[in-house]
Amino acid sequence: MPRPRPTADPAVITLEVNGERCAVAFAPHKTLLEVLREDLDLTGTKHGCELGECGTCTVLLDDAPVLSCLVLGLACDGRRVRTVEGMAEGARLHPLQETFADLGAAQCGYCTPGFLLTAQALLDANPRPTRDEIKAALAGNLCRCTGYLKIYEAVELAAARLRGEDAEPARETLYGRR
Amino acid sequence: MKEHPDAQYYIRGIELPETEVSTDLEPWGETRVVGKPLPRVDGYERVSGTAVYPADLTLPGMLYGAILRCPHPHAMVTAVDVRRAAAMPGVRAALTAFTPLDRATRPHADMIRTQLFDPHCRFQGEAVAAVAAETAYQARDALRAIQVQYEERPFLADERKALEPGAPQVRDSGNQAGETQVYQRGDVARGFAEADVVLDQEYRNECEIHTPMELHGCVARWDGDRLTLWESTQGVYNVQMQVAATLGMPFSLVRVVGHYMGGGFGSKLQTSKYSVVAALLAKTTARPVKLVLTREETLLAVGNRPASNMRLKAGVKRDGTITAMQFWGSGASGSEPAGGVSLLDWPVRDTYTCANVRTELTDLLINAGPARPFRAPGHPQGAWALEQMMDALAEAIGMDPVALRVRNVPTVSQARGNVPYTSTGLRQCLEQGAAAFGWDAVRAEIARQGNRGTVKRGVGVAAGLWVAGGGGPPSTAVVKIFADGSVNLNMGASDIGTGTKTVMAMVVAEELGVAPDAVEIEHADTGSTQFATGSGGSKTVPTESPAVRAAAVDVKRQLLELAAEELKVEVSTLTLRDGKVVSTQDPAVTRSLTELQGLRRRRSLTGVGYRGPNPANKAVTPFAAQFCEVEVDTASGEVRVVRFVAAHDSGRVMNQLTYQNQVFGGITMGIGFGLTEERVLDVDQTGKMANLNWHDYKLPTMLDVPADMTCVPIDPKDTECNATGAKGIGEPATIPTAAAIGNAIYHATGVRVTHTPVDPLRLVAALAERGEG
Amino acid sequence: MLPPFSYVRAQSLDEALAQLGASDTRISAGGSDLLGCLRDEVFTCSKVVSLSRLDALRGIRDDGRGGVRIGALTTIAAVASDPVINQRYPVLAQAARAVASPQLRHQGTLGGNLCQKPRCWYYRGEFHCSRKGGSTCYALAGENQFHCILGGQGCYIVHPSDTAPALVALDATVQIAGRGGTRRVPMARFHVSPRDDIRRETVLEAGEIVTAIDIPAAPRGLRSSYRKVRARGAWDFALAGVALALQFDGATVRAGRVVLSGAAPIPWRSEAVERVIIGQALTPEVAARAGDAAVEGAQPLKRNGYKVPLFRGVVREALLALAQ
Repeated sequence: MPRPRPTADPAVITLEVNGERCAVAFAPHKTLLEVLREDLDLTGTKHGCELGECGTCTVLLDDAPVLSCLVLGLACDGRRVRTVEGMAEGARLHPLQETFADLGAAQCGYCTPGFLLTAQALLDANPRPTRDEIKAALAGNLCRCTGYLKIYEAVELAAARLRGEDAEPARETLYGRR
Repeated sequence: MKEHPDAQYYIRGIELPETEVSTDLEPWGETRVVGKPLPRVDGYERVSGTAVYPADLTLPGMLYGAILRCPHPHAMVTAVDVRRAAAMPGVRAALTAFTPLDRATRPHADMIRTQLFDPHCRFQGEAVAAVAAETAYQARDALRAIQVQYEERPFLADERKALEPGAPQVRDSGNQAGETQVYQRGDVARGFAEADVVLDQEYRNECEIHTPMELHGCVARWDGDRLTLWESTQGVYNVQMQVAATLGMPFSLVRVVGHYMGGGFGSKLQTSKYSVVAALLAKTTARPVKLVLTREETLLAVGNRPASNMRLKAGVKRDGTITAMQFWGSGASGSEPAGGVSLLDWPVRDTYTCANVRTELTDLLINAGPARPFRAPGHPQGAWALEQMMDALAEAIGMDPVALRVRNVPTVSQARGNVPYTSTGLRQCLEQGAAAFGWDAVRAEIARQGNRGTVKRGVGVAAGLWVAGGGGPPSTAVVKIFADGSVNLNMGASDIGTGTKTVMAMVVAEELGVAPDAVEIEHADTGSTQFATGSGGSKTVPTESPAVRAAAVDVKRQLLELAAEELKVEVSTLTLRDGKVVSTQDPAVTRSLTELQGLRRRRSLTGVGYRGPNPANKAVTPFAAQFCEVEVDTASGEVRVVRFVAAHDSGRVMNQLTYQNQVFGGITMGIGFGLTEERVLDVDQTGKMANLNWHDYKLPTMLDVPADMTCVPIDPKDTECNATGAKGIGEPATIPTAAAIGNAIYHATGVRVTHTPVDPLRLVAALAERGEG
Repeated sequence: MLPPFSYVRAQSLDEALAQLGASDTRISAGGSDLLGCLRDEVFTCSKVVSLSRLDALRGIRDDGRGGVRIGALTTIAAVASDPVINQRYPVLAQAARAVASPQLRHQGTLGGNLCQKPRCWYYRGEFHCSRKGGSTCYALAGENQFHCILGGQGCYIVHPSDTAPALVALDATVQIAGRGGTRRVPMARFHVSPRDDIRRETVLEAGEIVTAIDIPAAPRGLRSSYRKVRARGAWDFALAGVALALQFDGATVRAGRVVLSGAAPIPWRSEAVERVIIGQALTPEVAARAGDAAVEGAQPLKRNGYKVPLFRGVVREALLALAQ
């Protein structure tokens, strides 16, 4: 028999979302994913499985990539959250967003926010990752469209640009290898 | 000539309108925009989090819907008590088989018509009841409060037992969907008699599930008698027609909008029950309703690539002539006829020259969710059998596997009564692919090294063709140019993540001499666009791009006529480039579009384009050959796919990047099909799905897919297939993949694993049987 | 979506211990396994006590005697990247890197990894199995391809942890706090076999919290490794795994432990393998005999017979790799 779900007494927490402190009230059993999408109207973070199996809902919590479907909203009191909406500065995209768009690393786009944030955490920690390091860091994000290759290329190009290099996509990235 | 009945599965059950036909367009020569690796026109939206998918939508007063699903594989619902649920806080509606709801019935495939909530539940996950509540949590809680009395029935979970005496019956009509389909040409007995070698092998593929990253879902809103559905779909018109038919409404009152969707792979081609449920919940409550399925629901109830059982007997002469092929295939539609063996035999029928072919297909029913078209229905399975058999034949006669395939490349579609192909790039796919891969060198190197360690190297090839992929009518596109030189393209087709919008903007830009990003696109909305078939079957580009081109050419014609009048020159001397009318003869004659007085007076010009028919008595078919290298750890059965080279003839490359996207994505899906993905039913006990979650159902991760993949486009300059020369690429890209891996595993280990997925479970067992490990 | 529950974020270990007690009060360390179990209704829960503020339980410290103490709240990612762990105890670092997915390694804690619930699909699914208080082990006659070949009785799960076999191999000790004080349990006795109690996975009593894991100093000549075979590269549990912590004297194995994962309902110390290799140099012949010993007494079920040759091969190859 289901227990009645308490409707009164929402929990109130204060957290920093995309650089801004905010207070938010919600039912105590809500996950961070639900709080972001439903109570903070940040729908860029996508819902894939609710069991931590796909990486689609990845956000940065105190700079570490976490699965927001497996974090209680309440556990985020006083912590820092970054979502895809916080990556761009105004309309200027983060280099990762630019390269994902330019190189075809986003197809249907549904897994993209999760990949972007996981990749950002990687590049924050390791400005010059090898392919194996990219692989190891992004292996928890599933993509059903791209085959991942364009994602490597996008992360590598963004890494170069973030290092201040005047990097352009390789010819083989655009036209394929012969 | 008789078309395969399933050839156009993606428009099955849909009455197609007849449209006008645009006049013939000259084939393009060199293109300025088309073919370039241009980024997607909607890239910003998709990377910034601003693209609104149906699940992201919130409307004022919106309720949340949820569906209660049958937990048993086979049961009769004898009673449903929703009183307790309906009285719970926030619950606004509860629908069941026993609530009067306009007696909605849902037509299934093949004329089976049932109640929306059919009390006879034939699969785990069948809809039993639905609720709408103020919050998603209240809706889920209400579902748990619904009391259902089930009378469990014996179930059938393994299609291999479907025709055994005493097998539980899935439907009153029995466990076979329709008659066994037989195809025959020539005389296989004579063919086998002519052969020097005859091989006979059984193969099996486990059931694969689409699981796009985005869950299935929609938002339904009524405005008086008008229904609007924001739907995650591959075809808004498919949904419009089915919902209208189910609810007895005129098409004009059902608007379906599908701007962004997060992948479908065939599972979102047809209309799901939940869309009708959402519409009814919204109608009952007079409130908008959002209904998004859970991951578990998508694993159970919205389609799959059914398991298939195949046997292939093939004969070959020492010179490489294939003398006969006989194929038996069976598969499981699920709980209703749903194409359980759809196109399974097509690779055997049509990939290689063979005078004597006989195939038999038997579609079976089981108590599991119905199949749906899944990226190249039947083909990866059929290729799994055929392409491994080709390797075995090559080995038996001591011929190189690539050479045997090249020896048997057809120029006509034998299964269509020997009609010629508009273009046949299969030979080039094999030869150029082999060259790019270094086929001969790497095979020689492996032979020289002797492959002695625990980890063994192997390479494999497989080829394929895709029955559809040529596209065809109908399609209607509208292009409008404004006085400021900006352009609007209006089309009904969906962009399911493949880049359709981008490619079509490039087609318009090519003809109108404007930048692709000057082309604004209105699409996938039955309220504001023209009819389009669903985006599936690798036919979106070859179907839509000629219509879009024709519409742009119509605008161009009008612009040039205006300009010729104003510039007082012959219209035939003018063309459009860089936002200007220019003369092909006199560089001094030029006028910016914005300075065209005729355009300024009219404010806009509109062109309409229609998709003409494909050439008569010709077949339009994409071809492919893929090559891969693997490392097999014979102690653990782990297979590492090291690299892939994919050579594809899909006609003109419309956009290098979106083309590569399809190829690499197709390979990855093929790796899943071949190595990791499998629906596991608890066949011996409960019939329920055991791996009902997304880690036990294993999609390939970055660690399972090689970072070394090469795409070799073969463009045979097909000027006949349609006005843009493009054939489909989405499906061909996944057809040969698993078979190429299977052949590489055999090359590495000498063990032929005929049953996918080839995970360590099966490979270790196979190696142990042979005394390895 | 989760069922309703109340939530307490304890400010101190004492507060956390005071909050525990009722049978459906659950501890949240990283929370990743707990939330999954709650969503899937594997068990009920009326109150969640979060340990996330207990910074004292986080971190890796030298114990002053050549060993280390790892706070139970230390994330798997922190264990995997810690230089001391990598240098002294490669088996643990390798095991930590083999856990689940990168995100889950950031969220999950070492204590949580040891206390996680089984991953049997019947246990996690809507089957009222013996471990959940029912009367049937569905795996016995069902889809048991991922189940145990050793140590099953009444329940045929495999223990899902990668770090646990590594810690058993390293002879680690679990420190446990309760309202009555603390106690220490060797890793080798921390997990409970279904032969002893089908309803529990660890020796933890209600109201107890794992606070730390102590690893003794690495003995001279210690070489260690963790090898995991899985059906896909990430987010997957061991089909077969082996944690090795062996003391070498030259080429000869002097002492050590061999612990299997993916084999049994608990991390499975294989004394049979140890008997074969101790006192021997790890030649191909010895390694092959050790592989055979690993599956001595194995009782495969209907669909997991492949695990017998798999363990044979994996144990053999892991020993040979460590000997190099």
